[in-house]
Amino acid sequence: MNAILLLLVRRALISVVILFFVAALLFCVLRLLPVDPAAMSLPPMATIAEVEAKRREMGLDLPLPQQFLIWLGQVLHGDFGISIHFRRSVASLVASTLPATVELAVIAMAIATVLGLGGGLLLFHVRGRPAEPAVDFGSIVLLSIPEFLWGLFFILLFGVALGVLPFTGRLSAEFQRPLVTGFLLLDTLLTGRPDMFWDALKHMILPAFALGIAFSPTIMRVLRSSLIDVYHEDYITQARLRGVSERRVLVRHGLKNAILPTLSLMGVQFGILFGGTLLVEVIYSYPGLGNLMVDAVRNADLPIIQAVGLTYCVVVLVINTVVDALYLVLNPKLRIA
Amino acid sequence: MWLPAWMRSARVLIGLAIVLLIGLAAVFAPLLAPHDPNEQNLIATLLPPAWLPGGEAEFPFGTDSLGRCVLSRLIYGARVAMAVAVVASFGAMLLGGVLAHVAGYFGGRVDWLIGRVVDVWMSFPPVILSLVLMVGLGTGLRNVILAIVLVDWTRFCRVLRSEVLVVRRRDYVTAARLVGFSHWRTITREVLPATVPLLITLVSLEMGIAVIVEAILSFVGMSVSADTPAWGQMIADARQYVYQSSWNLIFPILAIFITVFGFNLLGDGLRRTLDVRLTAVRT
Repeated sequence: MNAILLLLVRRALISVVILFFVAALLFCVLRLLPVDPAAMSLPPMATIAEVEAKRREMGLDLPLPQQFLIWLGQVLHGDFGISIHFRRSVASLVASTLPATVELAVIAMAIATVLGLGGGLLLFHVRGRPAEPAVDFGSIVLLSIPEFLWGLFFILLFGVALGVLPFTGRLSAEFQRPLVTGFLLLDTLLTGRPDMFWDALKHMILPAFALGIAFSPTIMRVLRSSLIDVYHEDYITQARLRGVSERRVLVRHGLKNAILPTLSLMGVQFGILFGGTLLVEVIYSYPGLGNLMVDAVRNADLPIIQAVGLTYCVVVLVINTVVDALYLVLNPKLRIA
Repeated sequence: MWLPAWMRSARVLIGLAIVLLIGLAAVFAPLLAPHDPNEQNLIATLLPPAWLPGGEAEFPFGTDSLGRCVLSRLIYGARVAMAVAVVASFGAMLLGGVLAHVAGYFGGRVDWLIGRVVDVWMSFPPVILSLVLMVGLGTGLRNVILAIVLVDWTRFCRVLRSEVLVVRRRDYVTAARLVGFSHWRTITREVLPATVPLLITLVSLEMGIAVIVEAILSFVGMSVSADTPAWGQMIADARQYVYQSSWNLIFPILAIFITVFGFNLLGDGLRRTLDVRLTAVRT
């Protein structure tokens, strides 16, 4: 047990180091920016002298490594600066949008998992049968449709043509948003408003399915190929010779071993999916991190871009660390090491 | 007549046909497009396709909100998509491939260092990193390509490195070193031929990804300038008029889907026919 704990601590420490370099990279890339953050935070009629003074005040005349350390120091104290466009603290902007994105990503990942595992079993089941080419072809079609095309397609089909589901925002206009934890679905339940919960859920169906379906085919294919690999192993033949039923072979021997590579891929997928929420949020005008980021990019709002970019990376690193931990707990080979 | 396996695969042939068709449309856009893609026709805005009531034969796929010919814009949009697909994937392949061979072949500290750089890159969701890079680099076709290369080289690096590790342990590589081949010659003559099939497959898949990333960037207005037609831009324009004319949205969606599908089909077919291990198991 201690060995696992030690490995977990080690993994967490590595994540912190990676995060440092991620922050440095982000900072350097954004300093290539052709716009002058000092000039942007002043009214347009400011004189050159005023801009110069502002530059000094913001520390823009200092060497880059020094600027980075100052920024990092502020970030560690929870100070992400003030948005140039909104004139509000960036930390509060991020805090108010992050829960929405997390909620969307988690539901989408649940959908991707169910579809991916189901589809993977189907792909494995039809191997070597007449239906294989058709099912396989279908999985390539699925693989070719990214989340934002699904999003637009769902809007056309369910929103415009059929008119059965809403496709903008998180809540219908007649509702007043309750604020307890920031997670809307949770908040509506906590405040005892099932009608509002249902309304919020309806708003999430299309974006969550768009993301979930787009990320399922990779999971399907990895599960299939890991199952095929596992079925080449002697212990499968041995189990069959013992007279174990085919279903039991699949569940107890096949899936149990094939799930590990699938799980570590799903961790990577979840990270990419979390970034994929950006497009889906823009398409569905869903008020999360993605919309905040895209607005900031359009307004060249540097403090927000930095903070939101960093937030995405932190979430991805947390996901990776958790998946690694799960992997350790589930994989008996690593447990002894 | 004997043909190599990849030329007998239906996937490869269909994928190649789709990709070539779109490539030709991109190259011969000025000859194929019925109109100037930027020519506005404010009397004929948001026309439906020609086969629907209200459509005009002059605009086969209808017009957008400014009365521009949708078919012409689709054809010209293929130029940006294909240019990005081809150049960006080869760039990403070069960068990722070289680093993968260096890491896998030499191992040790170089391998460790490259591995850690990949770790840092992998903690950025690709969409976010490309967006941040576009903010830093500024818009324009060259920067879109550069951003995609800088984001997607890790795809090549990770997959190829483990392949190089396997190849490197083969006896003929050791033999080449014993005979006195230099590192350079060993890598290019002995290791590379064994990794090329995987490399080709990855490039084909990467081209599809590059098309998607370009569409995403032009959708949020961070790709080529507004006077160059791009599929993502068409989607962004059409989204505002989705109730008046959903066809404007359907055509660019289909264009992106068909192109990506072509690249994926090609890549999947190549993977099946070029991958020695896979074909050995199957036959």
